[in-house]
Amino acid sequence: MSPDRLGAAAQTRGLGHGVPVGRARARRVRSPGGTEERVELAELGERVPGEAGTGRVPSAPGGTGQGGRPEAGSPAVSGWGAPARYEARSVTKSFNGAIVLDDVSVTLEPHEVHTLVGENGAGKSTLFKILSGLYTPDSGRLELGGETLGDLTPRSALGLGIYLVPQEPKLMAHLSAAENLYVGILPRRRVRLLVNWRQVHREAATYFERVGLQIDPATPAREMSIAQQQLLECARALVHRCRVILFDEPTSPLTTHETEILFGLMRQLRDAGLAIGFISHRLDEVLEVSDRVEVLRDGRLVASLRRGEATRDGLVSAMIGREIGVRTRVRRTSDVTERREVLRVESLTSEPIFRDVSFALESHEVVGVAGLVGSGRTEIAEAIFGLRAADSGRVAIDGRVLERRSPRACIEAGLVYLPEDRARHGIFSEVEITRNVTAGTIPRLPRRWGLIRQREEQELAAASAARTSVRMQSLEVAIATLSGGNQQRAMFSRWLLAEPRVAILDEPTRGVDIGAKDDIYDIISDLAASGLACLIISSELEELCLTCDRVLVVYEGAIVGELRGEEITAARLGELVVGGSSS
Amino acid sequence: MSAVAGSLTSRRTFLPTRALWARLVRLRELQLLLAMAVVVAVSAVLHPDFVSSSNVSFMLADSSVTATLAIGQTLVILGKGIDLSVAPILGIAAIVVGFPAQNHGLPLAVALVIVMGVGIVLGVGNGILVSWARIPPIITTLATLSVYGGLQFIIANGQEVVNIPNFYDTFGNSDLVPGVPWALLAAVGLALVVWLFLRQTNLGRSIYAVGNDADAAHRSGIPVQRIIFLTYVLCGFLAGIAGLIYLCHTGSADSTTGTDSNVELTSIAATLIGGTTLTGGRGGVIGSVLGAIFLSIALTAMVFARIPPIWEPAGVGGLILLAMVTDRHSGNLGSGGPRRVGRRH
Ligand SMILES: Nc1ncnc2c1ncn2[C@@H]1O[C@H](COP(=O)(O)OP(=O)(O)OP(=O)(O)O)[C@@H](O)[C@H]1O
Ligand SMILES: [Mg+2]
Repeated sequence: MSPDRLGAAAQTRGLGHGVPVGRARARRVRSPGGTEERVELAELGERVPGEAGTGRVPSAPGGTGQGGRPEAGSPAVSGWGAPARYEARSVTKSFNGAIVLDDVSVTLEPHEVHTLVGENGAGKSTLFKILSGLYTPDSGRLELGGETLGDLTPRSALGLGIYLVPQEPKLMAHLSAAENLYVGILPRRRVRLLVNWRQVHREAATYFERVGLQIDPATPAREMSIAQQQLLECARALVHRCRVILFDEPTSPLTTHETEILFGLMRQLRDAGLAIGFISHRLDEVLEVSDRVEVLRDGRLVASLRRGEATRDGLVSAMIGREIGVRTRVRRTSDVTERREVLRVESLTSEPIFRDVSFALESHEVVGVAGLVGSGRTEIAEAIFGLRAADSGRVAIDGRVLERRSPRACIEAGLVYLPEDRARHGIFSEVEITRNVTAGTIPRLPRRWGLIRQREEQELAAASAARTSVRMQSLEVAIATLSGGNQQRAMFSRWLLAEPRVAILDEPTRGVDIGAKDDIYDIISDLAASGLACLIISSELEELCLTCDRVLVVYEGAIVGELRGEEITAARLGELVVGGSSS
Repeated sequence: MSAVAGSLTSRRTFLPTRALWARLVRLRELQLLLAMAVVVAVSAVLHPDFVSSSNVSFMLADSSVTATLAIGQTLVILGKGIDLSVAPILGIAAIVVGFPAQNHGLPLAVALVIVMGVGIVLGVGNGILVSWARIPPIITTLATLSVYGGLQFIIANGQEVVNIPNFYDTFGNSDLVPGVPWALLAAVGLALVVWLFLRQTNLGRSIYAVGNDADAAHRSGIPVQRIIFLTYVLCGFLAGIAGLIYLCHTGSADSTTGTDSNVELTSIAATLIGGTTLTGGRGGVIGSVLGAIFLSIALTAMVFARIPPIWEPAGVGGLILLAMVTDRHSGNLGSGGPRRVGRRH
């Protein structure tokens, strides 16, 4: 499928749910009540004098937290600053002596989606963090619209209209979704000081719709899934009047559907003159959406390709330096006679999220769970593992019903869970990699006189981390200093070390580059061959097709279908996850 | 709409609006009012004097010092800090205006301006150490607790305020209507202003944002260190005002005023009982004022019940623990595990 056709498809879909497409401009509209003003996207037409086109003077907002941006008080929707080219010139950055970015220059043009690809740890996120003011480069400079920027902070970057949607979304847990969207620039009433909460909630809902996030704006952020948080971060880029938006792996927790909505939005923003930065490890996505692709390898730019020039194989060999064929499904032929049931879930219910979920898992078996964001797939896993209260239902491991489920009881019974939101539920961010990897195995670590033997602990961690080839300077640094994909590999190593008999893997390869992904699939496949029962929850249908013997489809909190063996195709799954019939 | 509706909607992803009564029961403010009603009712039955207007007035006036301190403490705790130095700030403010009031009849309005100034200056000291020098709040204010305490000693120079002009006493000990002392009105007035500030301004909301997650707030363009600085200044400011209320209410001040009765701990207790969590980002100032009033009522009730005063600290401790337990049971606790939902199986 040509990129153009895909683009057209996405735009049509955009029209379908009320997202304006085409060249958008800002228009100030007076609402019927006459008390508030609202700026809406309007389609086509020449510029309104004094509006969108005039742009914003590139100056950092000063003063107190009260309404940093000049227009902050006025209820805000998008009126973007003048389109501007954003350049990084010869940027170099090192951490503790290790060079992470080496003389990198990139130019983000307005009207373009500019994509970075590269292995885990190549320096992509670091570059985006520099561009958005989170890190300061050791040398080199940043230029926006030809003007050199001084010391950039996230605050001054936002003032200039530069926003980063980070790899790990981070919201304020106890504040509502709506407030998280507007934090710092809550729209105010005519009486300039006071926040207009009604407007906050109403307009938040329209922003959420534009990014495809279906959620009650009053929901506290702590109850949102990682995909929902990610979409909220995207919506926030619209609220700030941005002209450069950097998306760091926004699609990693999203399924094709949410991804298409997001791409529709990205194209629409691009067409409105924004410069869009994008990072992803899903290469078909990259080819679909990018106008320009640049490849980072070990902190250097090794290739720069325009739309049409880039191919999957070209990108892969530039990224990794070797070819990786398109993986095909490996059919395991395990001896059926030695199979036995290890996990049984009976009518598990947790209203209003999911109900009456029943299935069984046998040894030597890899079972997938497919479902949209918000379908309840993660919540089901959490309920099985005892992280989430269930209203009713039973879970049995090896035929023994777990009465009071808790993570500890599950681990002792041989079940491990790899959570999808590694930042919040997985890593101990300030703790060394060693202890992060052994965290699931503490009672079984080698001891002398009751004390853990550090050397052997480290050897165990090293061996386990080597299986997923975590790229790190040393095992004894805080895991927070690893790149996102490497943190994910370390999490995977943690449960490898735990040697479970049943594993629930929620997005096992989220943010992992394509070379390491194949390694992980091989590991899963080997372990299954030697008896592991494995439940894989994934947004990537392709992943399920490659690894699973069976796939359960979850739709709106219920299992609505099951595919086996050769039936498992991305197309079939794609139909089922949106509620298509399973005939 | 259809495409989205088909894919993502799921009415179910909307959490159902919890039943109104269920939400109300979880409101710490209501829980406190209820608890107060119970304590008052029981004490009134046993000792009718408990609800005499003079006793009510005394309890409320007494609580207004704690309440004013707790308002400031709440601001700091919401921003994930803590201020142990409010006791000497209160003490310094009280003696700095106490001597001129005693010796020269310093007008109340001038005294108010002076205590505000004193509070702000000392609060700025804390603010600089925490937000600029990045010293952890508990260490900073533990240190300034001693430093400011020493300062108070030096300023007092061994002397005491024992005799304040009548109009001070009138403000500190008389009622607007029987049972409603002026001092409490002052505290409630301050609480309402701060409540509005916290709820309805970007600056106020930024305090919550910083307390929830300073990194996320930083990334969202909030000037985190400036906000933290501001909370300490406001806390100092309010502690200064509390010093004046204290002076008017008790009519005395000396070199250990404030520190000797551990008002910093009482203010933290009132804040915690009021539902603000030590982990930051949750809670509010109305709860803290109610917490202060509740403490005062409960401690007075203990006196009426003839429980010896040495049990008073234990009473405060018990109430803090009780508040935390209620928190956990109403699913309110901030520091709990990931996505802990209600009861667990
Ligand atoms: N704060 C830090 N301290 C020390 N080292 C760091 C820090 N941040 C990143 N690094 C190192 O910089 C390198 C590049 O990291 P970066 O996050 O930019 O990778 P990435 O290309 O985004 O990878 P991924 O695809 O896994 O997200 C990694 O080797 C990482 O360990
Ligand atoms: Mg990254």
